[in-house]
Amino acid sequence: MEKLYKILKYTFITLWTVFIVAPFLWAVSTSFKDFQSVNSKVTYIPWLDFEPTLEGWRVLVKSPARGGVDIVEPYFNSIFVTCTASLISIVLGTLAAYALSRFTFKAGFVRNNDITFFFISQRIMPPIVLSIPFFIFLSTIGLLDSLLGLVVVYIVLLMPIAVWIMVDFFNRVPKELDETALIDGCNPYQAFYKVVLPNSIPGLIVAGMFCIIFGWIDFFFAFILTFTEVQLLPVKVVALNSSITPWWSLSASALISVAPLIIVAFVVERYLSKGNLSGALK
Amino acid sequence: MAKIQLSNISHTYNPLDLNPTYALNPFSMTWENGKRYAILGPSGCGKTTMLNIVSGLVKPSKGNVLFDGNDVTNLITEERNIAQVFQFPVIYNTMTVYDNLAFPLKCRDFSKEKIEERVKSVSDTLRLSSFLNMPARKLTADQKQLISLGRGLVREDVAAVLMDEPLTVIDPDLKFRLRRNLKEINEQYKTTLVYVTHDQNEAMTFADNIIVMDQGEIVQVGLPKDLFERPKTTFVGYFIGSPAMNLFETQLSSNNSVKINDTIIKTSTNLSKLKNNNLKLGIRSEFVKVAKDESENLVEVIIQKIEDFGNFKLLTASMGSLTIKSKVNRETEIPAQNVKLYFPADKCCVYEDNKLV
Repeated sequence: MEKLYKILKYTFITLWTVFIVAPFLWAVSTSFKDFQSVNSKVTYIPWLDFEPTLEGWRVLVKSPARGGVDIVEPYFNSIFVTCTASLISIVLGTLAAYALSRFTFKAGFVRNNDITFFFISQRIMPPIVLSIPFFIFLSTIGLLDSLLGLVVVYIVLLMPIAVWIMVDFFNRVPKELDETALIDGCNPYQAFYKVVLPNSIPGLIVAGMFCIIFGWIDFFFAFILTFTEVQLLPVKVVALNSSITPWWSLSASALISVAPLIIVAFVVERYLSKGNLSGALK
Repeated sequence: MAKIQLSNISHTYNPLDLNPTYALNPFSMTWENGKRYAILGPSGCGKTTMLNIVSGLVKPSKGNVLFDGNDVTNLITEERNIAQVFQFPVIYNTMTVYDNLAFPLKCRDFSKEKIEERVKSVSDTLRLSSFLNMPARKLTADQKQLISLGRGLVREDVAAVLMDEPLTVIDPDLKFRLRRNLKEINEQYKTTLVYVTHDQNEAMTFADNIIVMDQGEIVQVGLPKDLFERPKTTFVGYFIGSPAMNLFETQLSSNNSVKINDTIIKTSTNLSKLKNNNLKLGIRSEFVKVAKDESENLVEVIIQKIEDFGNFKLLTASMGSLTIKSKVNRETEIPAQNVKLYFPADKCCVYEDNKLV
């Protein structure tokens, strides 16, 4: 019985791994192919089935004038916008979450939970509802088609995630921790940044990870709020497509788009598996 | 170190309600400098609220808190210089044991030498010296609680150290030693210690003075002996002592005696002012004896059960529908039939409406 369970378990894990990894392997192999190897017959293994070429990758860094599509600048734009917006969202979101977790707010019928729900409700709305207001807003303040404008919009999108995750996290940090810090002689601000915050690093990392993922993969707002001056990676990758689909450079760009998230996942996974996330408070 | 006065304190957690329920009903109390107090009562009786009011974590709805005569009611916790230890260990996970113990001193800008000296002294007392450089989160639950305790004791100048059932998570052997340690610390540094517990043995062995609370009221303040021999209410009689005090419904018989069923029991209390409603007679099982040659205050009973606890025997006897418990010496001979129990008059407490007459 135990043996059967083991066999089933490993079979399932193997199938699942193949399911996850296969598209990546396919993309890797495709990115080294040329027009001929993609369109003639099915090919798998480099050097045996087809002659690998770096053309798919070269196109990505060549300037348009020399027949390339230069995704280097959009790549760094995306990194800048995602990181800046995530950082600001985490800082503001953490402060808001701490207040919502520790203090009682009353305004008419509105209570703490309603305020938290208000933040989350920003993500419940379909993004298209926000597109026209954002467009008008950014054009009014002159930030349409600029990095700063995108940062502002992304903060609006990411902060609810930070608030949501951190409220839940702070709720699980016992109130006695803050109280002990107060008794030990901290003022409420010191109690927050000297004691509560260092204890909340796992929560901050999870929130940061989600912000980075949602910021990095956004296509919709990057598409409607930018034109020529500024472009972000997802928009540029889509723009690669033309009358003849360049599978090889699309694969290459897909791989380098995913790369930062894979790196983030590895770093975070390492940190979380240290057991720091488990409540070591009691 | 300070004399702590609580004057006309009361507290409710829902002050906006029309008929708020009070966690603490109005009371006044003084805690003398350098003494050990135990607050004893069942869960939810307001013990923790009282501590939080003293430490400033909770602002009382009414009344004032005074330290050495200075009103500190509106001061925040940080400015009160008080130490509090909670029921469950609270440690700073990200710091080492040393940094945990040093934190209260660091927050108050003590010199490095002073911090080192104090941390060393406290860690020696609590036997934490060998762990000082370890991350605090790696310690066991009772070691963590020692750290919480240590942070409370590391400052010499605190007004008082408040402890909210601090030894719950600690194993019995260490518990015993720690209580002794706390007593020594109190005698050495003259720190006022306030100790909340629902364990009467802990309270009895630890404190000079015991404060018994029930449902937001302070029921009795006194020495362990008073609480045991002359409980002010039937609640105290019931709550303190094991087994609980024997309590019987009773009727007035004369100026100094009452009647249980048809048996007359004399007491040393003057009962002339009683209105004879809802009277109870209370006597500790320790004072109920098997009668030898006494001629009055005798109750004829049928023995139901004899339990041998090694150092004493516990008799459970019945008189009609009443149950009487008596703790007697091992050597006491218990006759097989016609057992009579003797109630010494000076140990009989009479309660009118559950309050001692």
